Amino acid sequence: MFSSILSASVNGLEIHPVRVETDISDGLPQFTMVGYLTAQVKEAGDRVRSAFRNSGFFLPSKRITVNLSPADVPKNGSRFDLPVAVSVLAASNILPPSSLTGVMAAGELSLNGDLNPVSGILPIAIKAKEEHLRCLLVPAENFNEASAVDGIAVIPLRNLLEAVEFLKNGVLPNIPKRKQEDFTLNEYGIDFRDIQEQLTAKRAAAIAVAGFHNLLLIGSPGSGKTMIARRMPTIMPPLGTSECLEISKIYSISGLLSSDRPLIGTRPFRHPHHTVSPQALAGGGRFPAPGEVTLAHRGILFLDEFPEFSPSAIEILRQPLEDRSITISRQAGSVTFPAGFLLLAAMNPCKCGYYPDRNLCTCSPRDINAYISRISRPLLDRIDLCVSCSPVSYKDLISGESSQPGSAEIREKVLAARQIQLQRFSSSPIRFNSEIPPSKLPLYCPLEPMAESILKDAFEQHSFSARGYHRILKVARTIADLDGSDIICARHIDEALFFRTVDETYWKQ
Amino acid sequence: MSNRIMEIERDHSLYPERMKALPGMPQKLYVLGSLPRDDIPTVGIVGARLCSPYGHRTAYHLARELALRGVQIISGMAAGIDGYAAEGALDAGAPSFAVLGNGVDICYPPGNRSLYDRMIAAGGLISEYSPGEEPLPFHFPARNRIISALSDLIVVVEARKKSGSLITADFALSQGKSVFAVPGRVDDRLSEGTNYLIAQGAGIAFSHEAILEELDGQALILKGESTRKQRERSARLQAELKKKASALSAEALLVLELLPAEETASAEELSEKLRLPIPSILSSLNELVRCGFADEPVRSRFILKR
Repeated sequence: MFSSILSASVNGLEIHPVRVETDISDGLPQFTMVGYLTAQVKEAGDRVRSAFRNSGFFLPSKRITVNLSPADVPKNGSRFDLPVAVSVLAASNILPPSSLTGVMAAGELSLNGDLNPVSGILPIAIKAKEEHLRCLLVPAENFNEASAVDGIAVIPLRNLLEAVEFLKNGVLPNIPKRKQEDFTLNEYGIDFRDIQEQLTAKRAAAIAVAGFHNLLLIGSPGSGKTMIARRMPTIMPPLGTSECLEISKIYSISGLLSSDRPLIGTRPFRHPHHTVSPQALAGGGRFPAPGEVTLAHRGILFLDEFPEFSPSAIEILRQPLEDRSITISRQAGSVTFPAGFLLLAAMNPCKCGYYPDRNLCTCSPRDINAYISRISRPLLDRIDLCVSCSPVSYKDLISGESSQPGSAEIREKVLAARQIQLQRFSSSPIRFNSEIPPSKLPLYCPLEPMAESILKDAFEQHSFSARGYHRILKVARTIADLDGSDIICARHIDEALFFRTVDETYWKQ
Repeated sequence: MSNRIMEIERDHSLYPERMKALPGMPQKLYVLGSLPRDDIPTVGIVGARLCSPYGHRTAYHLARELALRGVQIISGMAAGIDGYAAEGALDAGAPSFAVLGNGVDICYPPGNRSLYDRMIAAGGLISEYSPGEEPLPFHFPARNRIISALSDLIVVVEARKKSGSLITADFALSQGKSVFAVPGRVDDRLSEGTNYLIAQGAGIAFSHEAILEELDGQALILKGESTRKQRERSARLQAELKKKASALSAEALLVLELLPAEETASAEELSEKLRLPIPSILSSLNELVRCGFADEPVRSRFILKR
């Protein structure tokens, strides 16, 4: 007897439908699996046999061949257990073979026949919908995740017996569906209002988000760098449904969704430790999996203790910062992951962390300069804004109600500035001020005469490089947008110069 | 460059008289530029490399005021106090000298390149080490003895408790020179050394007049003429500043009024006092720095320029 059912394999962020076929024929009793399978997939055979026995099904003493087609696409993961089991059951006439038409299944079997959750269910559900399938069988714990996709019947199953009941008699297992109102987008639980002081840093954060400029925070330990960083997503434009699905897809494939958190409703905030390896940052593995840069897509990538990161890890960031995507080539093929993150770096001013407080700092001028110059130059070229956070004073800590604007107010201003950019760049591929190429700067950044002369003087005084000059101009463009001004005025240039990035003379002696 | 370096033996007529009289002085000096004159009062200004804005200001002004009155300034051309003192003297249009802990053909620290060039042009660099010799750590305490030997008086501007500047002061005392120290606040680590010197009986360098008084009359002869020049100069500067101030924006004028002259202030502190929105404070601060009313001695902290 022959039977077949659909399942899916994950390649990067792509989902490829896979047909799981079973043939039972006369011959020596044997269970063979073929179709370019990794060890993980081949192990399905052992799990399926045990799950059968413990669920009360008996395999016929015949030659059983399972094939996963197309046979030239490598297959990985444990999500083929359920389709293999169902297909074998249909081939041995326990299920009517016709019951498998238009059905896709994914799930891992336990030896006792229970179904365990698997990763990548969300994009599989999206694929199932695109293929206009009848239904999708998923483990009960993946139900919430899969049911985020409308237009496909998702059947949650706790064990193999429920699968048979459903396919044979159409009995739906009684598993409650997640209520729509349980899930709201853009709830962060933190707010910029929580930070009393650090007005300058907050302002820098608003500028960074408004023009999508990468930002470097410099400050002594405990000055609130991480608090500010964590609140950056709260002032980014609110997440829409399509963006939410896009981000959730990445997290689904990385196995970072759970039934408690079936979708990512907030902008990602990733903060890899400074010992992170280049592969963990970029993504990798024999079957390339998303790295931190991809998990931070449409959100914030926060690198604390910036100079401590290994140079090879930091250099990885260059391609994603330029292209907003990262391409990883491995034996199993080459995949491109999205990586449109805003880079937020933080560092101490010196090795001991207390400069310029000379009563606490014990570093020599040489140490201080050496610490600053540990940051990779090419990467520094891609950071538009820099701000130092001064230590928090006692007065700031005890002052009660904050009169400072909260995240919602800042976000409104950011949105207005983004709207201006949207109109300005409507006829070009540029999306944000930070992406304006040098050749287009005169077109998009008209300066009033006063501003022009300030910029000229600053260029000589700070001995800017061409890149440094362009950065100031782009940041001034964003500041003018936040101000609602078409033309860049002197005060905008002045403020942009305040936030100029670090260089060798950062701590001018 | 090497052919411009003079080698001066101990028995040479150019060998400084001040050094000839002292024991433990080198047999040979290497000089790039000129040597300090024997007939003019000379003050050595030394201090911490990593100094505060207070030390920066004081070193610069002391050197400038003294140089304006015809005093030769000697330092070690190190980062910090030494460098600022040399700058002060050069800005007064007077020659400035430095004793180095390496060959005179090497600029150390490399960050002082422009100062190095200015000093060769107007003043001189002196070393007991032959050209090409690297700045090794033990060279520096040794060169301090030459700084004190060439000076009639040593001013320590800022020094921690264990610092090279105190070594210079020790040399000066053993060579029979006066030692002055700039007083500081008792809880400033950078003033621990100078306050200690004062406690031990050093002169108090609270103004350039105090130092001039200590020096002999030769410098004072120049004083009258120089103060007149100085007064004219400062009147001119005042007029210039006033003209510039009229071009400042309204916010910048407000910020200028509140900008402290003794300690640096951050944008947050000013914003709290002024109740102005932070973007205007930030742009005003940069405007003030740009127009020469304020300084940014360390990133994002501002002080009134004097």
